[in-house]
Amino acid sequence: MVAIRGLHISKSYGHYRILEDLSFEIAAGECYALFGPNGAGKTTLLRILATLHRPSAGRLEILGRDAIQEREVVREALLLLAHGSHLYDELNAVENLSFAMALRAASPTDREVKVALDQVGIGAFAELKVRYFSAGMKKRLAMAKAILAHPKVLLLDEPYTSLDETGMVIMNRYIQALLKEGASVVMATHDRIKSAEVADRAGVLTHGVLRPLTREDLKTCDLF
Amino acid sequence: MFFFALIVILVFSFSFSMDQQAARELIAGILWVAFAFTGIIGLGKSFSAELQNDCLEYLQMSPAPKGAIYLGKVAANLLFIVTAEVILFPMFVIFFNLDVVEDLPVLLLIFFLATLGLSTVGTLFSAMTVQIRAREVMLPILLLPLAVPVMIAAVEATRGALNGNPLALYRHWIELLVVFDVVFTVVSFWVVELILDS
Repeated sequence: MVAIRGLHISKSYGHYRILEDLSFEIAAGECYALFGPNGAGKTTLLRILATLHRPSAGRLEILGRDAIQEREVVREALLLLAHGSHLYDELNAVENLSFAMALRAASPTDREVKVALDQVGIGAFAELKVRYFSAGMKKRLAMAKAILAHPKVLLLDEPYTSLDETGMVIMNRYIQALLKEGASVVMATHDRIKSAEVADRAGVLTHGVLRPLTREDLKTCDLF
Repeated sequence: MFFFALIVILVFSFSFSMDQQAARELIAGILWVAFAFTGIIGLGKSFSAELQNDCLEYLQMSPAPKGAIYLGKVAANLLFIVTAEVILFPMFVIFFNLDVVEDLPVLLLIFFLATLGLSTVGTLFSAMTVQIRAREVMLPILLLPLAVPVMIAAVEATRGALNGNPLALYRHWIELLVVFDVVFTVVSFWVVELILDS
C-alpha cells in the first residue's frame, strides 16, 4: 500500500526554483532516507509532506487523501520532528508531552508518559523544565512525543543531529519499531551510516531533482 | 503590564486635582487609556511562547482546529487583562475618590464586554504579526484603528455608569460592544485558520 504519493511536485520561492517536478511513492512500513547538500530542498520537501508548505505545483497524497485539500485529516496521521524541538521552555517534560498530545486529541496515561520518557532515556528528568535541557535531551523528548503520538507517517529532519551514540541507537530502534507497526518514515539526513541501518530506500536531492540511490551508493560513492 | 497601568493612574491623579463630578467626566477616558494600553502589552505576548523552539510550527501542523487554538488564546488574554483591570480599578477609585458601589455590576459588565472585544481583535492581530520582525510596532498600528469602536463604546458606557445615568441613556453603547464582540469573535474564528495556516 502506498502511504505517500507525490506527483510532479514543484516549489518556488520567488525566482528560486527549489523543487523541480518531483514524483515519488513511499509505501506503508517503508523508511526513505533523503540526502542532499545544504540548500538542496530537503527541509522544504519535508515541510510540504508535513502540510506546512503548499507546493507551487503538483499533487500530494498521504494515506490516500489529498494532503493539500484535506490537510486537517492528514495531519492526524503525521508528525514532523524538525530542527526546532517544538517544545515549550517553561513547561517540564511531562507537561510538554501532555500539551502536545492534547493538541492531537490524545490523553496518554501517566504510565504511558513515564514509559515513553524511560524509553528515550530521560525518565529521570520528567519534572525538569525544558529550558534546562541540552539539545540532545530536547531531541529525545521530541522522540518521546512521537512515541506517544503513534504517527502513521513520521517525518524526520536531521534525526541524528545533537544525539549521542546511545541516542542514535534509541532513535533507530524506535524507527524500526514504528516500521513494524506499518508506519512510513521519511528522513532528511547527512548521516549515511546511521540512516543505512533503517532505510529501505534512499534518494539524493540536488538542484531540486530527486535521484534514487542504492544501498551500495550509500556506502561508496560521492553523493553530491 | 501592571506597572504601566499603575504609572498611568499615578500620573493622571497627580496631574488633575479635581472634584468627584469632574473626575466622573474624565475618568472613563483615563481608565480606558490605562486598560487598553495595558491590554496591548499583554496581547503582544500572546504568541511569544510559540516563538521558542518553533512551537508555532507544531500548532500549525497539529490536527487541532485553529479556531479552537485561537479561542484558547482569547480566553487566556481575556483572563489576563480582566485580572489586571480588577486589580487596577480599585486604585482608580481610591486615587480619583470615586463612589461606584451602586454602578459596580454594570461597570464590570462593560469592562468584560470591552475587554472581550479588545482580546478577540488583539489576539487575531497578534497571530498575524507573530512571525514578523517588527511585531511590537505592527500590533498597535493594526489593532488600534479597528479597536476604535470598542474604545469609544467602552468610554461612553463607562462615563454613563460613573455619572449614575439611567441605563437607558447609555444602553446602546453596551449593545454596540455586544455586537462588536459577536461579529469579531465569529469572523476571527474563521479567519485565524487562514492566518495560522499561511
